[in-house]
Amino acid sequence: MKRAPRRGRLSTVVGIILLALMLFPVYWMVNASLQPTGNPLQGGWFPRHPDVSGYLSALRDQGGNLVTSLVVALGSVALSLGLAAPAAYALAQFRIRGTGLVLFGILLTQMVPGIVVANALYSAYNDLGLLNSYLGLILADSTAGVPFAIIVLRSFMQGIPREITEAARVDGAGRLRVFRAVVLPMSANALITAALFTFLFTWSDFLFALTLTTTETVRPVTLGIYQYIGAQTHQWNAVMATAVLASLPAAVLLVVAQRYVAAGTTSGSVQ
Amino acid sequence: MIRPTRPPARRGAARLGAGILTLALVATGCGGGGETGAGSATGTVTSITALDYYTDTTEHAQWGASLAACGRTVGVTVEQTSVPGASLIPRVLQQASSRTLPDLLMLDNPDLQQIAQTGALTPLDRYGIDSSGFARGILSASTYDGKLYGLAPDVNTIALFYNKDMLARAGVAVPRTWAELKTAAARLTRPGRYGMAVDANATFEGTWQFLPFLWSNGGDEKALATPQAAQALQLWVDLVKSGSMSASVLNWTQSDVSDQFVAGRTAMMVNGPWRISDLNEAKGLHWGVAPIPVPQAGQTPVTPLGGEVWTVPQSASRARQEKAAKVLACLNDSTTMLALAREHFTVPSRSAVASRYAEQVPSMAAFVQSVEAARARTGELGVRWPQAATGIYTAIQSALTGEQTPEEALTHAQQIATSP
Amino acid sequence: MRSRSRPVPDLARARFRESLAQWLFIAPAALYLLLFFGYPIVKNVVMSFQQYTITTFYTGAAPFVGLRNYSTILSSDLFSRALLTTVLFTVGSIVGQFVLGLAIALFFQRSFPLGRVLRSLLLLPWLLPLVASGTTWRWMLDGDTGVVNAVLRDLHLLPSGVPWLTGTSPALLSVTLINIWVGIPFTTTILYGGLQDIPTHLYEAAKLDGAGPVTMFRHITWPLLRPVATVVLVLGAVYTVKVLDIILVVTGGGPADATETIATQSYTLSFQQFEFGRGAAMSNVLLVISIGFALVYLRVNRRAQNA
Repeated sequence: MKRAPRRGRLSTVVGIILLALMLFPVYWMVNASLQPTGNPLQGGWFPRHPDVSGYLSALRDQGGNLVTSLVVALGSVALSLGLAAPAAYALAQFRIRGTGLVLFGILLTQMVPGIVVANALYSAYNDLGLLNSYLGLILADSTAGVPFAIIVLRSFMQGIPREITEAARVDGAGRLRVFRAVVLPMSANALITAALFTFLFTWSDFLFALTLTTTETVRPVTLGIYQYIGAQTHQWNAVMATAVLASLPAAVLLVVAQRYVAAGTTSGSVQ
Repeated sequence: MIRPTRPPARRGAARLGAGILTLALVATGCGGGGETGAGSATGTVTSITALDYYTDTTEHAQWGASLAACGRTVGVTVEQTSVPGASLIPRVLQQASSRTLPDLLMLDNPDLQQIAQTGALTPLDRYGIDSSGFARGILSASTYDGKLYGLAPDVNTIALFYNKDMLARAGVAVPRTWAELKTAAARLTRPGRYGMAVDANATFEGTWQFLPFLWSNGGDEKALATPQAAQALQLWVDLVKSGSMSASVLNWTQSDVSDQFVAGRTAMMVNGPWRISDLNEAKGLHWGVAPIPVPQAGQTPVTPLGGEVWTVPQSASRARQEKAAKVLACLNDSTTMLALAREHFTVPSRSAVASRYAEQVPSMAAFVQSVEAARARTGELGVRWPQAATGIYTAIQSALTGEQTPEEALTHAQQIATSP
Repeated sequence: MRSRSRPVPDLARARFRESLAQWLFIAPAALYLLLFFGYPIVKNVVMSFQQYTITTFYTGAAPFVGLRNYSTILSSDLFSRALLTTVLFTVGSIVGQFVLGLAIALFFQRSFPLGRVLRSLLLLPWLLPLVASGTTWRWMLDGDTGVVNAVLRDLHLLPSGVPWLTGTSPALLSVTLINIWVGIPFTTTILYGGLQDIPTHLYEAAKLDGAGPVTMFRHITWPLLRPVATVVLVLGAVYTVKVLDIILVVTGGGPADATETIATQSYTLSFQQFEFGRGAAMSNVLLVISIGFALVYLRVNRRAQNA
């Protein structure tokens, strides 16, 4: 919805200054990552002699962790959508008794602090041998994705006209077929939004990485950075390079899939 | 070497319960171990597992070679696993609960008491290992409930490192007393450079660095709210207040402190010999070592004892335990410990060997001298040490931020140390 | 006459099969939520009544000690300080996020060249991993070498800089400001959406009546924005109270426990001291606080829907 009248370039300048202020730390992160090695505590305002040795160290030491984060994030997306999509459809379109209860339950899950989940999962995982495992992290990180995906998908699927789904059922299709062939394709946008946010939530997760791993065999990059700081204090450019690499998915997705990101932010809050 | 460790709180009832359970477990462990030992006498042990925290590539390779050499004398290969320092105890606990502890386990010496208390370790007397000639401190750290559970081939402690060029240019002599330390630090401070740096952060590393000052002044971890302890803390407070020490020491690890020293942002620091290889790599840095300054001239500094002990955990296989014990004995014999000390810039645990070492490596003489008087952290409090350590670093943080006076901070520390 | 009894069981069975099919859609998600939220809540309550120590790992024994964990943590002065810190951190964060978020949303309310691009790029701080941005902030706020103090010194605003991470109050201020920085994009986006829902003609009518921008805000914008604003505030409170990452990465809870919140205390008790019983008790306190906010949120939401 356009507002009239349009304001002029002055607003654009102010807007750019505002953005520059807000994104200054991001700039500083990139700047620090390009400083030469062995210059531990001072950094110029501008990388006069850009040095990629920080990135080389980062990839060498944390490359595996980046892959781990990627695997866990993608796994979490698959699991979250797989669980959430059918549930969201049922909650949106079926008239089941108990829908209210389930929705209330989902609301409650948003209030549960991660530390509560981590506390309990640690001993459970210890007994089940799921500590330091991809599966364990995928299951734990999906606690952020599943409720959010259900909320986003449900609010979208409520808008799917019943006539279409009922027409398909009259034609003899089973519920599952209707879901797969009609509802899912129509929900593509919402699915992408949910997938995006689940990916970002899981990629950024720090708590479960910190509490549900005890060795470096399966170590997401967020934990990698945290421990990198202690181990590599005289190589801040490598630490910052790792931080930049860890920030890439968010930056890339923001630029490429901006529409979905904006949609997800709003619909995730309106329940 | 000091790594951040975790402190569990101890309670009387729990200790009793744990004690009973421990006895029960040891009893069943002995019986069970004997039976399975006899039963599995058919299979000979050709390889054992070891767990430590030497993740640094060079260190890992050096220890790997030492373990392999000792393994060969006993006829086994040693599978060495290294985890980062902070991960060691969580890993040990995880393995303890799933009964998958390694055959040979390395522990930072202050952690031995708690782990021994759980019943997960075996006393070394059942393997007939020779523990004669070891420094008193390391024996007291490794003894729980009257039994010896581990031995450390080498030990270390902290001392005062100083930048020779900076001191020479400022015309400052190496400080020996607290008063000299304060004036020297003040004279050496200038824009962009502090005179002194320590690790005062809110972990056991901060406590570890404070202990020389506490102990040398007559303070004691059993009773922290004493004037002697307050004076020691006041020294640190004065250094920060006068601007000779950065306020950021509150957040620095020993590694950070060393980086500051290498970067020339501090003229003196308290640190340990494990940093020597880093210091030697820094171009243009001429460093020296001296004992930590004492309150009055002529006193001997009392520093905390660092170093890792090797232990033999409980296991179903008596044969594996025997092999592991033999490797442990090999690691701790005089020849090996001297070689290890030379490799890692540490000090051999047997006093006789240490004196020979001081002659062979004069640059380590200051450390050898300090180690002789060094005290084990768990020597007096045993399993209650972690609580006292927590109290100490809490007091350091409170006093250095100005939240409390040293006296108030230490009174609070005593409360923390003695809370159930 | 046909018997009526036969079609009825068929219908009932068909309806049962129908419900079953419908429930099967929800069942996997419901099972997951029960396992990964329900179980932890129950287990936390149970653990809080037990005593866990390092020995528990080896022996498996965690004796039941009743309310002792609760009495220990609730009576410790660290708890009351953590509670105060949590309140200050949460209130400070929400107020800061809201005020600044609203200001920026109002700024973007009327479009201008590049407006949309700038608005979406503004989301970046919220999307970045907190570990990455927290580490950068820690670097920037270093007392001696950080860029923030360097700027303050160079501009002669404060000759010795601010002890951002080494002073007790400044440290709490630092983490609060960083949390505000992280939260502004989220708040801005939601409030912007709310502002867009306000019909333009109301503003046009007001302007014809000669109303100035402040009057328009007070009488048009704010009343119509209230429902969205309250949602943002309550949601903000719920999310902030759970925050752990920023504090752990930037200050680790220090200095001198100045930035320890209930959440970080729970983490320390469970995962650094291995006192899982006490950690569980502490996190139950946090859960109760969260549920309190949840009830407030429900009430507010219902009222907003009725409005």
